[in-house]
Amino acid sequence: MSPVSATYWGISGYIIFWVFFVVAAGLFVQRTWFLFRLIRLGKPENRFDHMGQRINNMVREVVTQRCSLKSVTRKDLAGFGHAFLFWGFSLFFLSYIIFIGLAGGFGLASVILGGTFERVFSSILDIAGLFVTIAIVWAAIRRYIVRPARLQMSAEAGIIMGMVFGLMLLHFLGDGFGLASAGVTTSWPPISGAIARLLSGSSISNLTLKHVYYSLWWLHYFLILSFAVYIPRSKHMHILASIFNEIFIPLGQKVVIEPIPVEEQENFGISKIQDFTWKDLLDLYSCAVCGRCHASCPAQLTGKTLSPREVIHNLKEHLLEAGSALLTPQPVTAKDGQPKEMLGGVVTEPEIWACTTCGACQEVCPVGIEHVRKIIGFRRNLTMSQSKMPESAQLMLRNMQSRGNPWAGVQSMRLRGDWTSGLDLKILADGDTTDTLFWVGCTGALVERNVKATLAMAKVFKAAGVDFAVLGDAETCCGDPARRAGYDFQFQVMAEQNIEMFKSHGIKQIITSCPHCLNTIKNEYPQYGGEFKVVHYTEFIADLIKQDKIKLSNELNSTLTFHDPCYLGRYNHIYQEPRGILQSIPNAKLTEMERSKSSSFCCGGGGGLMWIEEQPGTTKISHMRLEDALKTGADTVVTACPYCLQMFEESIEHKGIQSKLKALDLVEIVEAAMKQS
Amino acid sequence: MHTIVCVKQVLDPEIPPAKFKIDPETKKVIPPAGVPPVISVFDERAVEAACRLKDKNKGKITIISMGSAKAADVVRHTLSMGADDGIVLTDDAFENLDSFGTAYVLSKAIKKIGAFDLVLCGRQAADWGAGQVGSILGEMLGIPIITLACNIEVTGQALKIRRIVRDGFEVLEAPMPSLITVSSEIGLPRLPGGMGLMMARRKVIPTWKAVDIGAEAAMLDKANSHTEVTGLSVPTRKSECEMITGVTLVEAAGNLAARIIKLV
Repeated sequence: MSPVSATYWGISGYIIFWVFFVVAAGLFVQRTWFLFRLIRLGKPENRFDHMGQRINNMVREVVTQRCSLKSVTRKDLAGFGHAFLFWGFSLFFLSYIIFIGLAGGFGLASVILGGTFERVFSSILDIAGLFVTIAIVWAAIRRYIVRPARLQMSAEAGIIMGMVFGLMLLHFLGDGFGLASAGVTTSWPPISGAIARLLSGSSISNLTLKHVYYSLWWLHYFLILSFAVYIPRSKHMHILASIFNEIFIPLGQKVVIEPIPVEEQENFGISKIQDFTWKDLLDLYSCAVCGRCHASCPAQLTGKTLSPREVIHNLKEHLLEAGSALLTPQPVTAKDGQPKEMLGGVVTEPEIWACTTCGACQEVCPVGIEHVRKIIGFRRNLTMSQSKMPESAQLMLRNMQSRGNPWAGVQSMRLRGDWTSGLDLKILADGDTTDTLFWVGCTGALVERNVKATLAMAKVFKAAGVDFAVLGDAETCCGDPARRAGYDFQFQVMAEQNIEMFKSHGIKQIITSCPHCLNTIKNEYPQYGGEFKVVHYTEFIADLIKQDKIKLSNELNSTLTFHDPCYLGRYNHIYQEPRGILQSIPNAKLTEMERSKSSSFCCGGGGGLMWIEEQPGTTKISHMRLEDALKTGADTVVTACPYCLQMFEESIEHKGIQSKLKALDLVEIVEAAMKQS
Repeated sequence: MHTIVCVKQVLDPEIPPAKFKIDPETKKVIPPAGVPPVISVFDERAVEAACRLKDKNKGKITIISMGSAKAADVVRHTLSMGADDGIVLTDDAFENLDSFGTAYVLSKAIKKIGAFDLVLCGRQAADWGAGQVGSILGEMLGIPIITLACNIEVTGQALKIRRIVRDGFEVLEAPMPSLITVSSEIGLPRLPGGMGLMMARRKVIPTWKAVDIGAEAAMLDKANSHTEVTGLSVPTRKSECEMITGVTLVEAAGNLAARIIKLV
């Protein structure tokens, strides 16, 4: 018999059950409806394509808990805790529907309870409950004693841990008393069975056991209802939102920067809640403030004010606070205390300009939050609508506008066009055509140090008999720094010009030296109708080696460590090719930095920050990365990006350790290994 | 309020010295290939001053530029900053004019444009740096001239101008219309916003020739020039490096300070 079928103070248990259920369900729906309406304040965005694939992705991420397990490291095992909590709690959720809902509320106790099904399920629940309890205790120890920096102290976390702990305790005790009062002394389920045996052996009367069981049962029920009411009112709305967020994550590139809509007029980018898309707002609900982004953000780790965790958290608070005013038909007057300005107030300019767009936050985010495009949205508003930006950003953008490249000063044309002299390269003139273009990139063409790498590249290609051409001084910037700085008009102008130029030369394949050019031309030019085969030189050279067109025969008695450029690795998943090339050099020893491949640490030069002054902090990002390289004991740090190379050179010089560590572009090593001795 | 700003296209000052060539025979600068001209930095600040006035007082900004057809790019840049109309003055007869000739052409163009409240020029051109066109133009237009302004405000029907002097500034009042040359102290010119860029792309920039503005041939005749270039050379630069030392950093700094004082 279920406690629901009993009568309490003359009222049927069923009435009590359903009255409370309706109240709780009402409160749940009221809040979730409110949250849903807030999301609808966002702009439309089509994320409903390939729904089958999307749902499949979600199942693969959530059910298997790949989302939280992917970031487990020896230092941070918390992902396991989440997985146990998730799996365990899912089973409990199912049990609430079956044992409390169907068996209790619908009076199906006689069908469901008392059989093998109940015994097996309860046994599984007992074990799951044990895991959940362990996970909760572990979480509490971590949160209140260990206190890792990535966690933000909040009362909400304590409340939810208390609730889940309470639910587990009530499960064990309730079942224990229930079994004991029914006179069942079984060893399965193991924990509640043991409690039951303990109780049966005591002097407590059967009636008392039954009364305690009934009380615990109702307490359990009320706690479940409170849980349901509390969830959408706390940061644990994450439970509801993140499942949907996993469905709507971008299918291809993780960081998607959409072109600015043409019809948009005075206000560009994001300055208020309504400028976000609905997916951006769903992102905010999905965040459980786990802080993985906080712990991997190069700006945060070097003491800048930017923390991706705080940006998302503060935006959510702002949405909940300002959004309710936006939902009411009459706008709030200034006297009522306008909600804080979002751009400049909730998220400040120093935070916005500290981001290198390295994408580490998105890589580790378990729920698919898109931090980077929000930051770029803010930058768009600052640069295009308000003309507010650091002076260094303005200088860079002015150079792009008037000179076609982001470099200033004597750099501006010293070598563009000139570096090719003496190399007998095919420089495309108007009307010339070529299949394969070597896209040098501004830094590779204009900055003395990087020109060396460009020369090495041209020599390697020539030695391998590659039929290629360059644009010489007709090459302009790909537009990347302008797009990352939010000045999308400039990007658009350059993208359109370049696409037209590529087409006019009949170009089919583009080899880039810079991963930023690679990402822009390969992944963003299609937005403007430019579809070309774009490869990074590391892919191209790896291919030449495979085809035996390049032989790396010279010995290199050196210990190397490869620094993964963000836009090569995280943005374009090229991890293996550069390593493969280095490993094929005789006597070259390759060691890995602790932060490598997808968890590589930015050099500090991305997102326009090659030109935009780094925000004040405890150290420079490049200096922190240098320490990573030094720890490996390697004598050479190898990279495949002109920005990274410059950043390393600068920090090596700053530290005065030129004799201990040198920085080279991978192509320079290839050239050295190819030389006939 | 209608402001007319005169701007000049100049050789990109960012080009490296090695690329800068002159022809001593014809006494002309040989422009390096493939380097598009840019707006003279001082004139860009004059445009910025005009935009600031427009931000505050509404009105209209017209840009005129005398030069080659390429000056249209420079004019378009000013349109994206916030100017409303732009006109390019191009004619073979306008080539190699001196300050008087240039001012004459500009004055004829301004007269053709019609009513205006203010004419702005950069304090000097970033290439030749004579700093004369503004003053001569004001004279030809018969309006008051204030040079080296670092701030301009509209007060009722008059202009309040802060003018840079050697050890500070003076505040002047001038009627409208007047001609003001703008100094660098006014501040950095703005980066065009999205709206500006979009509008500027759509605008048509007309080209006026000598006949369009009714410029008299005699005034453009080189023989009637007020100035003559007698020689042109690239200055040779010598730099000497002297290491100032000291036992301690404080002492080194002291020695350095003492050495600098001697130099000035």
